[in-house]
Amino acid sequence: MPPSLPVPCLRGFCTSPHNPQAPFCLLTLLLPPLSLGAPISTAESINQAYNLALDMQIQTSALLQIYLEHQGTPFSDPNFSSPGLSLRTLPSTDMPFEIWHGLEDGEHLSLTQKAFWSFSQHFQLAKDDQSDLNPGHSIVVDQLEEARLKAKGLAGNLAGIMTALDLPTPPANTPLGSVPLGDSVFERKCRGYVIIRDYSFWTDRAVTFLGELKAKYSE
Amino acid sequence: MLDISLCLKRPSWLVDSKRMRMTSDFQWLLLTVLLLYLTNQVNSQEKRTLPDLKCVTNNLQVWNCSWRVPSGAGRGAAYEVCIENRSHSCYQLEKDIKIPPLLPGDYEITVNPLYGFGSSKSKFILNEKNVSLIPETPEILNLSADFSTSTLHLKWNDKGSVFPHYSNVIWEIKVLRKKNMEIVKLVTYSTTLNGKDTVHHWNWTSDMPLECAIHYVGIRCYIDDPQFSGRKEWSNWSLLKNISWPPDSQTEVFPQDRVVLAGSDITVCCVTQERVLSAQIGSTHCPLIHLDGENVAIKIRNISASASSGTNVVFSVEDNIFGTVVFAGYPPDIPQKLNCETYDLKEIICTWNPGRPTSLEGPRSTSYTLFESFSGKYSRFSGNKVSTNESYQLFFQILPNQEIYNFTLNAQNLLGQTESTLLINVTEKVHPRIPTSVKVKDINSTAVTLSWHLPGNFTKIKLLCQIKINKTNSEHELRSVTMRGVESSNYLTTVDKLNPYTIYTFRIRCSTDPFWKWSKWSKEKQYLTKEAIPSKGPDTWREWSSDGRNLIIYWKPLPINEANGKILSYKVSYSSDEETQSLSIPDPQHKAELQLDKNDYIISVVAKNSAGLSPPSEIASMEIPNDDLKIEQAVGMGNRILLTWNYNPNMTCDYVIKWCNSSQSEPCLMDWKRVPSNSTETVIESDQFRPGVRYNFSVYGCRNQGYQLLRSIIGYVEELAPAVAPNFTVEDTSADSILVKWEEIPVEELRGFLRGYLFYFEKGERDTSKIMGLESGRFDIKVKNITDISQKTLRIADLQGKTSYHLVLRAYTGAGMGPERSMFVVTKENSVGLIIAILIPVAVAVIIGVVTSILCYRKREWIKETFYPDIPNPENCKALQFQKSVCEGNGALKTLEMNPCTPNNVEVLETRSVAPKIEDTEIISPVAERPEDSPDTEPGNHVVVSYCPPVIEEELASSGAEEGGGASQVIYIDVQSMYQPQAKPEEELDSDPVGGAGYKPQMHLPITSAVDDLDADDDLDKTAGYRPQANVNTWNLVSPDSPRSTDSNSEIVSFGSPCSINSRQFLIPPKDEDSPKSSGGGWSFTNFFQSKPND
Repeated sequence: MPPSLPVPCLRGFCTSPHNPQAPFCLLTLLLPPLSLGAPISTAESINQAYNLALDMQIQTSALLQIYLEHQGTPFSDPNFSSPGLSLRTLPSTDMPFEIWHGLEDGEHLSLTQKAFWSFSQHFQLAKDDQSDLNPGHSIVVDQLEEARLKAKGLAGNLAGIMTALDLPTPPANTPLGSVPLGDSVFERKCRGYVIIRDYSFWTDRAVTFLGELKAKYSE
Repeated sequence: MLDISLCLKRPSWLVDSKRMRMTSDFQWLLLTVLLLYLTNQVNSQEKRTLPDLKCVTNNLQVWNCSWRVPSGAGRGAAYEVCIENRSHSCYQLEKDIKIPPLLPGDYEITVNPLYGFGSSKSKFILNEKNVSLIPETPEILNLSADFSTSTLHLKWNDKGSVFPHYSNVIWEIKVLRKKNMEIVKLVTYSTTLNGKDTVHHWNWTSDMPLECAIHYVGIRCYIDDPQFSGRKEWSNWSLLKNISWPPDSQTEVFPQDRVVLAGSDITVCCVTQERVLSAQIGSTHCPLIHLDGENVAIKIRNISASASSGTNVVFSVEDNIFGTVVFAGYPPDIPQKLNCETYDLKEIICTWNPGRPTSLEGPRSTSYTLFESFSGKYSRFSGNKVSTNESYQLFFQILPNQEIYNFTLNAQNLLGQTESTLLINVTEKVHPRIPTSVKVKDINSTAVTLSWHLPGNFTKIKLLCQIKINKTNSEHELRSVTMRGVESSNYLTTVDKLNPYTIYTFRIRCSTDPFWKWSKWSKEKQYLTKEAIPSKGPDTWREWSSDGRNLIIYWKPLPINEANGKILSYKVSYSSDEETQSLSIPDPQHKAELQLDKNDYIISVVAKNSAGLSPPSEIASMEIPNDDLKIEQAVGMGNRILLTWNYNPNMTCDYVIKWCNSSQSEPCLMDWKRVPSNSTETVIESDQFRPGVRYNFSVYGCRNQGYQLLRSIIGYVEELAPAVAPNFTVEDTSADSILVKWEEIPVEELRGFLRGYLFYFEKGERDTSKIMGLESGRFDIKVKNITDISQKTLRIADLQGKTSYHLVLRAYTGAGMGPERSMFVVTKENSVGLIIAILIPVAVAVIIGVVTSILCYRKREWIKETFYPDIPNPENCKALQFQKSVCEGNGALKTLEMNPCTPNNVEVLETRSVAPKIEDTEIISPVAERPEDSPDTEPGNHVVVSYCPPVIEEELASSGAEEGGGASQVIYIDVQSMYQPQAKPEEELDSDPVGGAGYKPQMHLPITSAVDDLDADDDLDKTAGYRPQANVNTWNLVSPDSPRSTDSNSEIVSFGSPCSINSRQFLIPPKDEDSPKSSGGGWSFTNFFQSKPND
């Protein structure tokens, strides 16, 4: 399937859980644009990445809700939140907005690309944890797997945009090292929560940034 | 000292009787003396001074005796202690003595101070009962902890080697918690000293994780030596040893991921440097138990079984949470319904039901191990591979030459284990797999060979298989077959006694001998057996055509079980004495029309399929007449009808009953049925039968020569009520009767045997009368039931004349009433009555008229006098005297002719605005008035008319009322006579009445319109003198109330009609040729009531 095909992944199309073509749609979104021979315009790449980020942003709240529902109280309590929990191996969410806003597009792309590559690996961890913890509830595992694929896909898309913009190619993706908060079941539950929570932050950031980038390159 | 030690050791051996014999007599004597001496010394001391001697032993081998040193004795004072026993023994000692244990009894001990310290010699009596056994303080060899299980491991040495003999030892162990050393456990532990040093272990599991607080452990002992009669005391507590979690700055919660029994208690603590705000398990908050520092714990009692992801226990600090997950569940249930069998004698499959859920999943789920005790082999079940139907299974390879297997299924999880056992002979537990590859091969039209494949090694056993044979529209048939088992091969059997050309469905299942379980049924295998020749000829019937020239042969298609194949064609042969002819009819056609020449023929029909020809079916063409034939009726039930006939010995072959729809034209044949010749009845049943349809049934008897119609029956399988109402008309109507006639209902609409008609009638008009509830027996409805179905008319008598009747007619059959048809009829008027009703009033009127006429005639004078008195003649009145010439003019001259009268009343008319004024004008003459009139005065004004109204008393009465007390006398003027005296004067006959000078009659004044006015003005200019008042046109214009002429034919324009002098209503309206109202002419009664003439 050439990547230059019109993207059929409208929001409602991809987000419908009952859409039998959703896997193909997801596949289209996740295709790294530069891995195939046919060229694709920068604007189209950005648009594709933006659509994917938008889809991820929409799915994040559902992912978090389903995840917490399967962890028991107090995780499943309404409005559960624990801002004190953190995972140092996750992409940082501490950078003040002014600094982030002042960065160049290349730096934005680089940081975002690294972040989602990292999230894809962390989702793998969370998925393994839940396979042990909730073997009878495949929906959690399935949702985490879908999030992992999308995060990985967005990282690929962003790498493609960087290449298209003649920006320095992101360094080779290194495997994730030892991740803390994994010694006990409780820590693994917290770890999954923190991963999804920070993933939500980064999808918001990616949508905003890619929206601006899309506007810039569509002119 | 060496000697003493030697001596001290030896007594211990003396205790042992065996060793005692081995000692030398010398030693024995010496020790005895020593003991006697000590005893004496003690006794003597008791006697003299209270003894301060205190003896203690901790190993029963040495008594350690001490006494209080006298106050005067200094340090380093030495004593000589002598024990008086069998051997007098003395020791030089400083403060205390260690002596070997003495035998039971009193011993005197003498203590002599040495070197002359001034003390006197002391004697004590020593007995074992006064000696205390206080074990040495035990020493904890090691105290360790298993934090994962919160278990303390204590290790110590009982030092039993120092004890001379076996003794029971009671150890007391105490566990202290927290820095303030709260005792959490105090336990005793019994052991036995066996003369050797033995290391003992004691484990204790804490209810609180050991990480939560520091734990101390101490131990002491109590030696319960039964042979020692002295006082036994606990040893001192050992030095405390402690266990603590290595201090760490990080906050941690203990225990982590603990699996506990549901319903048990558990303590969870949080080791932290921060202040814990709250703690909760699930959604329940728990009170905090404060430990050392900021550490806290909570105690959870009777914990509920957890969900898959466990039960969260969370401690909240200011901006963070810490927690752990507890998995509360159950140990595995005993595996239920354990069953082991084999499908193929190669592998045993064991299945079981896990029983009660453990609430533990994933890594904590139950693991199962299937162990076979004879072979020692086992198979393990991985907990993650749970079958969908909650049934677990494990496979075990069958071992060569082993038929008996003893299985033990062990279920284990972190909370416990259970097991279930099963002993089987595998050859008796064979549950064959589903047979596959079922194939069928032909043998002949009634037998086939069936083969199938059955996987498995069944060489040592027999197979029992069942074949389920299904045939269309019939019950299945089961056939069993036993065969030797083979190694994974095909099995073969013959299935016979099948029907030709029949579709069979075969299914196979197998079991083994001895029987354990059937396999599942194999897939269906459908097969059509080969064809055979038709077993019978077709059922045949014949009908002559309506013209009697052709014979139509009918035959029924053979049923599938008789056709034995696909019928390709039929061969129809007809033979007489002279010839035989035949023709072939292809299959779908089941009749043939033969042109026969009235000879008796035998017709035969043969069916043909691919296997051959059927036996022929023969039928004779001849029909034997029957003169004694009546048409009968029959009614059936449902879709069947019973027909009977009398036994007829002449009928040598079958009876045939044929039937058809009665509405069809001949030859009509729906179906026929053959009945054996000995039958006298049959039930005809057909799906084609419909309720309410008339069928003709014909019963034929069969003789050698042919068939004879025995009975003809019309019938219904079920009668219905008529579908329509009979059409009826009224043939004749009189004043008191109606003749109604109706038509027959067609058979198709009748839908049953007609039983009669019901005729209802009642008085009633259309739209107001409706016969409701005809069956309800209303009294006002008359009903006639006509059961004579041949009757088609009905006369209804005794009706009222000129009355509307509502007639309703319905037909009914055995099934009920049909719909109704209604009609409204009005009877004729009774003419005699009408005539009488007319004649009587006429006659009465005539009689009254005649009588009145007679009376009037006889009293005419009186009437005349009363109502019509003579009117005075104006001619006799001088005031009104006209010249003779004037009054006696031409008759055509229409001037007022005044009769000679003496007017007594004169009405003076003024203009309309002025109310009429009647004055008594006895003397006043109109002529006398006129000169005073102004020439300009309109003619209508001040016209004085004497006029004679007709006789209307009412007018007079009203006039009289209006006039009040005015003149009540009415003067009537005969109009005609009035005119004559006022005829135009002769002078005016010759002159133009308008253009003439002098007197002009008033009616000739042309004052009618504007033009006329002009003309009139001109005329006025031309004329002078008196202007007559009377002018019709003037009356027309000026006063609508003015009188008009009524005589249109007359050329003479009248002045008006006579009217009451008191009324302004003209009794004779004037003629208006333009007005249609007056076109009728003459005196119309309606004009009389006209209140206001048209303008």
